[in-house]
Amino acid sequence: MKLTRLRINQFRQFRVPLEIPEFRPGLNLFCGPNESGKSTIAGAIRAAFFERHRSSSVDDLRPWGDSGAAPEVELDFECDGQPWRLKKRFLTRKRCDLNIGGEVLSGDEAEDRLARMFGYQQPAKGASKPAFWGIPGLLWVEQGTGHDLRAPVAFAGEHIKSVLAATLGEVASTGGDDILQRVESELNELVTAKTDRPKGRFKEYGDKAEQLKTDLAALDLRIETYRQQVDRLGELSQRQAKEQAERPWEALREQQQRAEGRYQEVQQLSERQAQDQMALERCRNHLQVVLDRLQGFQLQASELLQRDQAKRVVQARLDDFLAQQNAVKGALQSADSLYKQARETDRLSRLAQRRRELQQQKREMEGRRTHLTQSLIQARALEKDLSREEAALAECCLDEVQLKVLERLSESQRDLSITQQSVATLLRFDLEPGQHIDLDGVRLEGQGEKRLLQGSDIHVHGVGRLHVSPGGKDLHELARQLEYATERLSAALAAAGTGSIEQARERAEATRSLQSTLSANRKLLALHAPQGGPALEQELTVTAQLLGKVDEQLEAIGDLDSSNLPDPQMAEQTMEHAATRLAEAERAERQLREQLIQNQQALNHAHEEYLNAQASLAKPERRQQEEQCHSTLASLRVEQAQLTQAIAQRALLIDEARPDILLQDIKRYQSSASQLELANRQRSDELVGLQAQLQAQDAEGLEERRAQRAAEFENWSRRHQQLERRTRALKLLAGLLTDKRQALTRQLQAPLQKHLNHYLQLLFPQAVLEVDEHLVPGQLVRLNQESGDFDALSFGAREQMGLISRLAYADLLKEAGRPTLIILDDALVHSDQHRFAQMKRILFDASQRHQVLLFTCHPDNWLDMGVPMREIHSYH
Amino acid sequence: MPRFLHTADWQIGRQYERFGPEDGSVLAEARLGTVEKIAEIATEKSVDAVLVAGDVFDAQTVSDRTIRRLFMAMRGFNGPWIMIPGNHDAALSESVWTRAQRLDAIPVNVHVVVVPEIVLFHELGLAILPAPLTQRHTYHDLTAWFDHVETPPGLLRIGIAHGSVQGVLAEDIDSANPIAADRAVSARLDYLALGDWHGCKRIDQRTWYSGTPEQDRFKSNGAGQILEVQIDLAGAEPSVTPIPVGQFPWLQWHRTLEVDSDLDLLINELREVNRPSVLSLVLTGQVDLAGEQGLSQVLSEAGALHRHLESDLTGLRLFPTDDDIAALHADGYLGEVIEELRIAQQQGATETGRDALVILSSLLRARQDGGEAA
Repeated sequence: MKLTRLRINQFRQFRVPLEIPEFRPGLNLFCGPNESGKSTIAGAIRAAFFERHRSSSVDDLRPWGDSGAAPEVELDFECDGQPWRLKKRFLTRKRCDLNIGGEVLSGDEAEDRLARMFGYQQPAKGASKPAFWGIPGLLWVEQGTGHDLRAPVAFAGEHIKSVLAATLGEVASTGGDDILQRVESELNELVTAKTDRPKGRFKEYGDKAEQLKTDLAALDLRIETYRQQVDRLGELSQRQAKEQAERPWEALREQQQRAEGRYQEVQQLSERQAQDQMALERCRNHLQVVLDRLQGFQLQASELLQRDQAKRVVQARLDDFLAQQNAVKGALQSADSLYKQARETDRLSRLAQRRRELQQQKREMEGRRTHLTQSLIQARALEKDLSREEAALAECCLDEVQLKVLERLSESQRDLSITQQSVATLLRFDLEPGQHIDLDGVRLEGQGEKRLLQGSDIHVHGVGRLHVSPGGKDLHELARQLEYATERLSAALAAAGTGSIEQARERAEATRSLQSTLSANRKLLALHAPQGGPALEQELTVTAQLLGKVDEQLEAIGDLDSSNLPDPQMAEQTMEHAATRLAEAERAERQLREQLIQNQQALNHAHEEYLNAQASLAKPERRQQEEQCHSTLASLRVEQAQLTQAIAQRALLIDEARPDILLQDIKRYQSSASQLELANRQRSDELVGLQAQLQAQDAEGLEERRAQRAAEFENWSRRHQQLERRTRALKLLAGLLTDKRQALTRQLQAPLQKHLNHYLQLLFPQAVLEVDEHLVPGQLVRLNQESGDFDALSFGAREQMGLISRLAYADLLKEAGRPTLIILDDALVHSDQHRFAQMKRILFDASQRHQVLLFTCHPDNWLDMGVPMREIHSYH
Repeated sequence: MPRFLHTADWQIGRQYERFGPEDGSVLAEARLGTVEKIAEIATEKSVDAVLVAGDVFDAQTVSDRTIRRLFMAMRGFNGPWIMIPGNHDAALSESVWTRAQRLDAIPVNVHVVVVPEIVLFHELGLAILPAPLTQRHTYHDLTAWFDHVETPPGLLRIGIAHGSVQGVLAEDIDSANPIAADRAVSARLDYLALGDWHGCKRIDQRTWYSGTPEQDRFKSNGAGQILEVQIDLAGAEPSVTPIPVGQFPWLQWHRTLEVDSDLDLLINELREVNRPSVLSLVLTGQVDLAGEQGLSQVLSEAGALHRHLESDLTGLRLFPTDDDIAALHADGYLGEVIEELRIAQQQGATETGRDALVILSSLLRARQDGGEAA
């Protein structure tokens, strides 16, 4: 498509006609300040296409305040190789005329034709809305909406897909989505979309079948119980009839009575036995009383003997202790005297020890005094020698350092003189005998040689004078150095107090020998008096004082004969031993004393008791009583023997009859009979109960009911299975349809992806903008950057991606042979300089294929687009 | 010359679970109708008695109403009905019979024989030797005592028993309750009326299974009849005539569809069944979309006509022809889906795949119809 001319009249701010007579095939730039009408022109193009000419809801197209105006838009464009002219007038004298290469259409027909051609929808009624705008809504970007892509793509989606499907031919499907939707909606009636769980009828049938299954199981259980009850009824009736005829409890009752008779006989025997046993018990008790008394009498006599015995034992013990008394006292005394003796010996032995120590100290100190005195004498002699030798040393002192200086000076003086001799001009002469020459006035004869150190005159008689000058200036320099060296040597020698170097050497030697003597003597002195002579003297004085004190102590001890004394350690041990012995003797003595007192008291007590016993035995009535007891005892013994025999005989009889077992028999027969009777009664009750129960259940017709339930169950579960089958089939179908549709979508995505990447590379090399199944850009994947969702990109980036995507859609549409016109109302105002430059390249590239109308209020930004910038202003 | 009807296995109270409550209850109802018809025939033919050889009721615990309805259905014949309990309605200590007695539902002309003792009908000239079941199953021959019992001379010895004749019937049918195959001979019976086998079967000239008068399973030959028995004098060979009384025949067909004409044959065959029946149809082979449509149509018609129609199409593959697909205008990926399903059918179809194909083609047809109408 190519727009060639536009004319608008009485349209918003253009109250008078505005005509743009021609448009370029590619990019068309229009500029103008704010409110100069840029958006109005874009708006006019939209209105011409989107709004129904007969719509009465387009009042906003009128110039403000002019209610009589008839907004008019006239567009010329080429499309499909034909010239198109569209004339539309709104609100007043409404008209729509469309001329396509001579074919004239008008009104709704014209509008529908346009909508089909450009891929959008006409509103059935009222003003058009973005949802109807389809493809133009995507390609014609209103001011400030370039970043918003999702909604326009969604509105254009169906149109784009149908356009693309046409290019893809067979793979697309007419109404495939419709079928898929219906399959899915049918599936959704049966199962929940998310959790895939049965719902609606499907669930209801399943639940019903399940419920019926439970009912059936319950009924089965009841039927089984019923059958068991019927069996039980049969069994019970049979048994009851048999028992009623036999009456087995009666025989048992007879047996019970027999056992009771026997038990009574035994009972009488037992009573008599009990009586005899009581008599025997009484007899035994009496016997015991008599025996106890007799024993009492015997006890009294034996007690007197015991008392006497006890008294004697105590007396004997007391005598023992009295006999020990003297021996213990003697032992105590001897221990005491031994202890005292040991203590004296100990004291003396320690004194002797002290005396020996003092004598030893005295000897040591005397030795020391002698030694110190000798050292003092020697030290004094050495000090004298030292002072003498030090004086001698002071006199001839010439040390090694001084000698070395002298040697060095003499050596350098000698070296210089040798050097001088070697560089001097050598004058060797061999004169004829009798002949002579004069050298600087010195007569030379015969043979010889002279070293000339300075210019010399040689006078050869008869010949003349020869002047010889030694070569080089060194000779004079050398002469000066030699002179200086000689002077320094002489001065040094004089300072050292010697005439020559040899003399100096001799003196140095003498000094060394003196020094060594001196050092030896000093060491000797240090040996005798390390802290010097006065200290030595002081020490001597102190030693003498200490000696005096030792002598005093020795005197105080005096003479002592120590020959018989043991050493102090032994003496101490002996003393300790004696002390222990003494303590033991003292304790023995104390114990003895205590025991004596105790035994004396015991003896007194024993004597008293003895007297008491003697008194009670001597009473007169005691003998009479004893005799009486003996006679009673005899008669009681006879009675006991008789009773015992009678009881034993009767017990045998009772034991044989086993009354305990007889009692058990009675109980056993009795309870067996009553149990049989009870069981019979219970059975008859159970029979009645069972019959009643069964009859009650009979009325319910359990098995018939079960069969009916089973039929219902069969019915519902069959319906449920049918739905299950249908669900499976629908799922399979939905899955297949979705897969194929996705495969198709991927085919549709591919070319769009290609165009997108074409532009995207200019902005972000190697980046990919992914397209989802609705053909909406999703993830932007950039090299070395985190990929981001389109919607999460910055405003500027979204605007750039939005434009790139629109251009890609345009390319896609162009390939499908559809009209493409791109209108940008103030594009890319949020891009930075670099991106903006790239975007301009992209836009320029797109304008090679599409007609682009770009409106801007920043003309300076777009000067490098290679096309003229046209001012809106100039079209008024 | 006594003449009587021999019938058995009424199975009153039977429900047909597999047919659902609607069809099932009609079939259950039909059994009572058949009893009415038997009474009618007995009256019409003025027979001396009607013998019912067990399994009058299908279960012990049928409803009171069912019990009453049965005896009411029998009112059409005033002569003696002589019946014994079978394994389904054995004379237990508490049974459908004790209940019927308590309900006072048994008319005086109905003789329910629950003890194995001779019952003499002098005026009819019959001595009845009954072998009633008093347990659900026995494993000894309840007719053995027939051999050793004498009957008054001049009366016909008529045995009546319920169970399996040994060595004659298939093993799988109630093989408990055995009956010796030569009982009629050994017990010198003039006729032995047997029940338990639902088909009509002659064991020997004096021994017959009448079969159930109303068919209740697909496999039972000669079901739906009663027997009219006439014995001229004691020892004479009985003349036995089957009389059809059943309302609904049970048909089970297995057909394979390979070519279009197979379907036409089946359609004709179905249309030829003019009596309402219980019909079980198992189809295998393959059909195209048009065939499938035609088949659905015919099955739907047959379902309306017959008492019950069950069809198993699991083994039938749906294989749309190219024309079918073209007719559906399934272009684009819809076409691919159909192709995929078609190939799956060719390679051994699953039921699900077939169903999916049917659903898809019906959706497409609906869309097409809708589109054309609009």
